[in-house]
Amino acid sequence: MIKCIVAALFIGGALGYLNANWANIVCSVWISDYLLNASLLLLLFVMGAAFSMDKESISKMRQTGLRILIVPLVIAFDPILGGVVSALVLGLNVVATTAVSAGYGWYTLTGPLVTQIFGAKWGALGFTANFLRELLTIITVSLMVKVDKYAPTAAGGATAMDTTLPVIVRYCGSDVLIVAFSSGFVLSLIAPFMIMGIASLG
Amino acid sequence: MNFALLVIPLIIGLIFGYFLREKRKVNFGKVTFGIILVLIFSLGFGIGSNTELLNALPEVGLSAFVIASLGIVFSVILVKAIKRKAGL
Repeated sequence: MIKCIVAALFIGGALGYLNANWANIVCSVWISDYLLNASLLLLLFVMGAAFSMDKESISKMRQTGLRILIVPLVIAFDPILGGVVSALVLGLNVVATTAVSAGYGWYTLTGPLVTQIFGAKWGALGFTANFLRELLTIITVSLMVKVDKYAPTAAGGATAMDTTLPVIVRYCGSDVLIVAFSSGFVLSLIAPFMIMGIASLG
Repeated sequence: MNFALLVIPLIIGLIFGYFLREKRKVNFGKVTFGIILVLIFSLGFGIGSNTELLNALPEVGLSAFVIASLGIVFSVILVKAIKRKAGL
């Protein structure tokens, strides 16, 4: 199953590259924006329906209630550890690296925002690091689910509400849908404030 | 697309499924997997056609990989550490 997912990613990547650099057969926005969003909206609808039709998922949800918010609130502290340790390992500026890490995988936000604050070089790093977080989450989901049921949700960060959500639910089961989605949603809300807050320390 | 808008199809799906739950069980497995492949394909397509990103990769790739991996590792550790205490 994961092989098909990785294959789809690489075939998409190769065709996107060929299309942008040689062929130019389709306008890339049609696929990378419209088709992506259309499939995402459809998946969210189907996953929502599958969740409500599963009585076990609903009763689990009732038991945990608002405690699911602990997941994103704990992950929110991740840049303080991950960012600082990365900066020390790589010998980079601690504040800027931590700000990059505070994108929680949301690269379309982090790239432009970090560019504005720290300049284009950091923007490129902010974009790439967060995009790789999304990519690594998708590729390693089958391994991570063995570590913990919520590990893929944690790994996905802000992307757990969109691009990585279908893959997470596929591997962790329908009952993680609400935990993963709300975690991604809360982290998406926190990310811009976290990046700007950390940047203000520098 | 505004990320908050993603809640709408999810809620419609939740309501839709709630009214169908007494009906015969539908297996969404194959259909969802097909759409997941379309989603991942279009994600890859966007990356492949993003020349700016591909040009930046050789220079920042390694640092980005370290930041992404450590971000994932610490998130997983944090969630695993708090999970039992929170009763999840």
